[in-house]
Amino acid sequence: MKKIYISLFVLASLFLSGCSDDFLDVNPTENKPADPELINNDQDATTMIDGIYNIFLSWDMSSFAWNGATSIISDDADKGSDPGDTGTDKDVLDNLTYNASTPSFKSIWDYNYAGINRANQALAILPKLDKVTPSLKNRLEGESKFLRAFMYFTLVKGFGGVPIVDHLPIPGNADDKIMQLTRKTPAEVYAFIESDLNRAIETLPLKSTYTGKDVARVSKGSAYALLAKVNLYQKNWQKVVDNCDKVTGYTLVSDYSLQFKKEGEFGSESIFEINGIGGTSSPGFGIGNYSVSQAPRGAGGWGWGFNTPTEGLANAYEPGDVRKNATIIFRGTTLYDGREVASTVSNPRYNYKAYSSAFYNQEFTDTNLRYLRYAEVLLMKAEALNELGQTAAAIPLLNQVRHRANLGDTPAVSQTDVRKAIYKERRVELAFEHDRWFDIIRTGQAEAAMAADGKTFVVGKHELYPIPSSFLQQAVGYSSQNPGGY
Amino acid sequence: MKNFIFSLFVLLLLPVYMSGQAQAIKGKVVDSSGMGIPGAVIASSDARATADADFDGNFTINAKPGDILKVSMLGFDPVSVPATTAPMTITLKESADTALKEVVVIGYGTRKKIDNTSAVSSIKSEEITKMKVLNASQAIQGKAAGVQVATSDAPGSKPSVIIRGVGTALGGRNPLYVVDGMPTDNINNINTNDITSYEILKDASALAIYGTRGANGVIMITTKAGKGKLVVDVDSYTGFRTPLKKVKMANSDQYIQYSNAAFSAQYPSGRFSTNQPYNTNWFDEITRTGTYSQNNISLSGSSENIKYFLSAGNYEEKGILNGTDYGRTTFRSNNEFKISEKLRLTQNFSVSSIKNTPKPLSAFTSAYRQSPLVPVRFPSGKYGVPFENNGVISESGDSFNSVGNPVVALDYNNEQQQTVILQGGLKLDWDILKSLKFTSQFNGEYYTYKQYNYVDNLALWLAADPTRVESAYDSNTLNKNTLTRNRDQYFNWNLSNYLTYNKVFGEIHDIEVTAGIEANVIGTREKLSIDRKNVDANSNYWSLGGVPYAANVTGYKDEAINERRLASYFGRFQYKLMDRYLLTGTLRRDGSSQFSEANRWGTFPSVGLGWIVTKESFLSDIKGLDLLKLRGSWGKLGNQDVPLNVQSFTSGVDYNGGTGVTINSQIDPNLGWEIVEETSLGFDIELFQNRLKGTFDVYDKNTTNAILNVLPYSPSGITKESPTHVGEVSNKGIEVSLRWDDKINDNLSYWIGGNYSHNKNELSRLKDVQIAPTNGGSLGNGQVTKVLDNTSVGRPLGSFYIYEYAGVDPANGQMLYYNANGDKVAQGALDQNRDRKYVGTVLPSSNYGITLGLNYKRIDFSVDGYGTAGAKVYNGKKSQRFYGENVEASLVNDYWTPTNTNASNPAPFNQVPVASTYYLESADYFRINNITLGYKLPLNEDGFINYCRIYVNAMNPFISQKFSGFSPEVVGDGEVIKGTQGIELDAYPALRTFVIGANLKF
Repeated sequence: MKKIYISLFVLASLFLSGCSDDFLDVNPTENKPADPELINNDQDATTMIDGIYNIFLSWDMSSFAWNGATSIISDDADKGSDPGDTGTDKDVLDNLTYNASTPSFKSIWDYNYAGINRANQALAILPKLDKVTPSLKNRLEGESKFLRAFMYFTLVKGFGGVPIVDHLPIPGNADDKIMQLTRKTPAEVYAFIESDLNRAIETLPLKSTYTGKDVARVSKGSAYALLAKVNLYQKNWQKVVDNCDKVTGYTLVSDYSLQFKKEGEFGSESIFEINGIGGTSSPGFGIGNYSVSQAPRGAGGWGWGFNTPTEGLANAYEPGDVRKNATIIFRGTTLYDGREVASTVSNPRYNYKAYSSAFYNQEFTDTNLRYLRYAEVLLMKAEALNELGQTAAAIPLLNQVRHRANLGDTPAVSQTDVRKAIYKERRVELAFEHDRWFDIIRTGQAEAAMAADGKTFVVGKHELYPIPSSFLQQAVGYSSQNPGGY
Repeated sequence: MKNFIFSLFVLLLLPVYMSGQAQAIKGKVVDSSGMGIPGAVIASSDARATADADFDGNFTINAKPGDILKVSMLGFDPVSVPATTAPMTITLKESADTALKEVVVIGYGTRKKIDNTSAVSSIKSEEITKMKVLNASQAIQGKAAGVQVATSDAPGSKPSVIIRGVGTALGGRNPLYVVDGMPTDNINNINTNDITSYEILKDASALAIYGTRGANGVIMITTKAGKGKLVVDVDSYTGFRTPLKKVKMANSDQYIQYSNAAFSAQYPSGRFSTNQPYNTNWFDEITRTGTYSQNNISLSGSSENIKYFLSAGNYEEKGILNGTDYGRTTFRSNNEFKISEKLRLTQNFSVSSIKNTPKPLSAFTSAYRQSPLVPVRFPSGKYGVPFENNGVISESGDSFNSVGNPVVALDYNNEQQQTVILQGGLKLDWDILKSLKFTSQFNGEYYTYKQYNYVDNLALWLAADPTRVESAYDSNTLNKNTLTRNRDQYFNWNLSNYLTYNKVFGEIHDIEVTAGIEANVIGTREKLSIDRKNVDANSNYWSLGGVPYAANVTGYKDEAINERRLASYFGRFQYKLMDRYLLTGTLRRDGSSQFSEANRWGTFPSVGLGWIVTKESFLSDIKGLDLLKLRGSWGKLGNQDVPLNVQSFTSGVDYNGGTGVTINSQIDPNLGWEIVEETSLGFDIELFQNRLKGTFDVYDKNTTNAILNVLPYSPSGITKESPTHVGEVSNKGIEVSLRWDDKINDNLSYWIGGNYSHNKNELSRLKDVQIAPTNGGSLGNGQVTKVLDNTSVGRPLGSFYIYEYAGVDPANGQMLYYNANGDKVAQGALDQNRDRKYVGTVLPSSNYGITLGLNYKRIDFSVDGYGTAGAKVYNGKKSQRFYGENVEASLVNDYWTPTNTNASNPAPFNQVPVASTYYLESADYFRINNITLGYKLPLNEDGFINYCRIYVNAMNPFISQKFSGFSPEVVGDGEVIKGTQGIELDAYPALRTFVIGANLKF
């Protein structure tokens, strides 16, 4: 009898232990957990990647701070607006008097890392999605790695060596703390970027295979072009040439100005472009206040009037260069869609590339960011060939870009003159495309160019942004400030 | 293997046992009924020998005839007799001290108190019902060492109970209540008259059997069962309640004097003229004399096969705050059926229905702040407002403060809550064998709650300004009224099955083994709420049939809180060797659905040792020492009531016309329960024929992996904090209780007792991480008073972190504060990141209770008191003055003026003062909690009414406190760190209560 009861009891415990784990599987009702199963299909898997692209629509990532730290800071643009409106810190950026607490740098740091987190989240979840078509999964991995590489490239160009966060850190984990707080060398960051891009090259399809709105996605060509640019920054000239050669299937569009309009987006020249979609609802899916912050200010205007083209930039265009009137709004003129810019607006010039015809005065407009265009690939290749001593091969590439701008052949012949011509061509071709500041530092033109703009570029300091003090406070004992006395 | 270890153990102890084996004098120790007393100790100091009685009470000892043998046994009065050659029969009288036979409830069983190795405080029903309160936990304040109870006298409030310190920062810190086997977190539904015992498990040895729910302590409540012949017990009392302490506010004249000084910059000739029509005492206007009463009737008894207990009770209170009413009706039926010789079924069932109309406690703050110049109503019948016209209070004019009329707030607050709680259980005990018992117990709890809150916006709008007329109300944009309704319900259940094996081997090895399994489900809590506008003013018509009211719905919520499940295995081994060496080992393995699959299971072991030293022969001779028992324990406990590891997809990050999602949070993949390790040592002592009893305990409790919110580093790209195991919290303390009971003669007995406990609490360690600061103690004006962040290491939890007041600037009367450099600066010059200091904590470091009483013939009299030391209280209501509000009368007598530059209070000012030590006061107090005087009528025991006791009670009649506010005991929202515990703001005053009642038995 006794034995029967004991065995019954033992049986009961076995029963409970056997299914106790099932017993403990409770479906949450309070919140929807980030369960990979919820996106384990072709359509939903893409949402994790679209979430990465979305960071580029943020005000902090791509708008005011970014204009400040790439254009206003440079010789292409001034703060603009009314003299009394500092735009938080745009005055100190314009005058090169910023420091580690200047908010724009914190925005750039925080939001690029926020984007890197989104890429890392996607990369962590993708391997768990076993019901997603393998080819799509590959592409999504490629897109994530491209975007992560792009953001690290932004960080390394701006801040120099930065911490490489290559996986999702665990709070309280000592190794992850070191990973997050220790600045790596620029070379290490570049190596990480290249490895991401090489994987992206393996997995991304050609742009021509995308259909419909997928044309906005990054492609193999985007990865080669970005890799070429990464090579360019490291002066690996031969690699620049090689990778530029692999950017195939693109042509220059005949009308330069068209590609900055809604109807010209993702055209044959576009390699990597951020797509803003105008609208009046909030949150919207354009780049937050990108257009309106740069639109004409004052009586007859509709914007805040920041990031105004300098006279130096206006004068840099050769006579007859169609790019001048495609890049600069002059006050008292009429825009391509018939909208008049009154002569009473506060500043003489504004950035035309930020203009959106629809929703022109809204927070969210159709304006896109053109980060990589085929014209730049031609110029990169020309520059690399010239540096490799193949000046004669470089000149036709440069001329290709000039011809589209309604200009004749370059008069430059010598390696030195061709180099200068390419630098200048980059300035007028890529103005307000967030390239100038990094370009003048990369090419050593910064001190002279800024002097010509009436600003003092301190060699040994201004090559790099200050590391935000908010990070350095966390990283005491792990990382230090950039040189130059920030 | 097990057998081998066991035999080894026996071998090791054999010499101890062998020492009494020599032959000479034989005898038997028996109790008054002639039964042998096993384990009795026979000692002869003449013969220098000792012996123990065997299982039947027989003993042999080496002694000469005539040697005095001292025979003692726990629970019996010792005797000394001369040895004889003939077999002796020694009868021991059971000692009057029944405590030794007392049984304590431990988890999944009971244990004789003497054999228990753990720290358990037992409180009997008489102690609980002596305090005429709603919730039993309020009644035990000051009665158990190591248990800190903070209470509020607000009707229906839940006392804060802390057992051996707070060990968690973000997790729940309330003890687990187990009511007749049902784990629950509130006992407001339990009628105190139905309770037969209230036991507090305090140390790890006792708590480990509750595994992941044990860390905050466990309170075991057992309700009554029937016994003997049918008894009808009626207990009724009624009482009235008034504030124990009032704060004297400035009257009209004083207010004018002070306010004119405060407004002197804008109104150099004085804002208010001296002759004002009103002098309102706002506190009196919003309060009334509280009344309450409770009536209980119970039927109980037993027959051969059935024990029954049936009770019904009703509690009604009208709180001192106008309109605050609370009513509770309870019904209980507990039955035990003896199905066969081997089978018993115990059933219990209780219903509790609570209905209350709460009023906003902010009325107390408004009453404190509102000017005495303002009338409750103007002669026109309109509500008073703080408007002045040419310096005189008026229905129109300039507003001189922003405080609402407290009476309006009460008049137009229309809220009602109704709660019904059903609890029931079935327990089957099956004596499979004489030594083996199987118990199966199922308990369930069903909770349902409904509430409405009706706000008459139009009436409030009109009341806020007497010049307003209804036609001017913009009913297009404003709602005439709003109605919120809430529904809330859940069903929890618990099923445990366990075997208990109890046997004595070889006469000296007393073994009890318990092993079982348990499943616990805290069901999905379903909450519905609906917000509506412009409903019918008559509540009967809020829910008309067939009328669509979608257009009037402004909000709707339908939430389901996660179900929580727990699957557990538990075992306990209790071993008693020779009635004096005690060993308890427990093990619990809990699996919780709250944690990720890899972190779901945890094991919680404990070990307890005890040694009843007085059973040893070398102590048997010591006169006056009746009991000495040493105890020691170690164990591991869990707290699973911790923040969850929740990671969700963030949506709304769309791009290019496609849906985008991401994850913007970090998780600690190892997040689980908090683990507390506790080591405890103690001893129990009884002296002078059990008249003096004492218990001493020391403990060292360490939460080894306390959870705090970690702030991510910026390169993580995440800004949301995440709960992570990063801290350690230490609680170290001592507990002492002593009690002297004596019976002088049959007519007079008395007792005096007391307990003291001291606990040192601190956040002892933090990993190398950055903590997201947890701010607490909000004053509702942008100021916070408590913080927990990276600077809090080495500080108690619930620490105040505020500026240090440095006195009045004699030059201008401004308040000055010490900054980090020690300089005195004004508030504008303070840096909140650098200049704040840790200046004390919300929780007392020590508390103590006293009790004394006597029974003389038919009269019983007792006094109980309670006190705490080491805590601070923040006078939050006082810090609410920043423009035209009233002040305390004491302030008006001594504030800075150009002619009184050495005043102790600053010049009147019109700004929100920073949180500082100026408003921080000592919370030390000692209060007489209860004085009871009872008289039993001389009745014939065979009469219809065979027992009648009439009593009067005074609860909280006296307090000695340093705090200038209403009560230094402020529970607030019960949140030590992030909430308002210890902040007197919108707080209900402590009450003084006088009760008269009678208890009759038929």
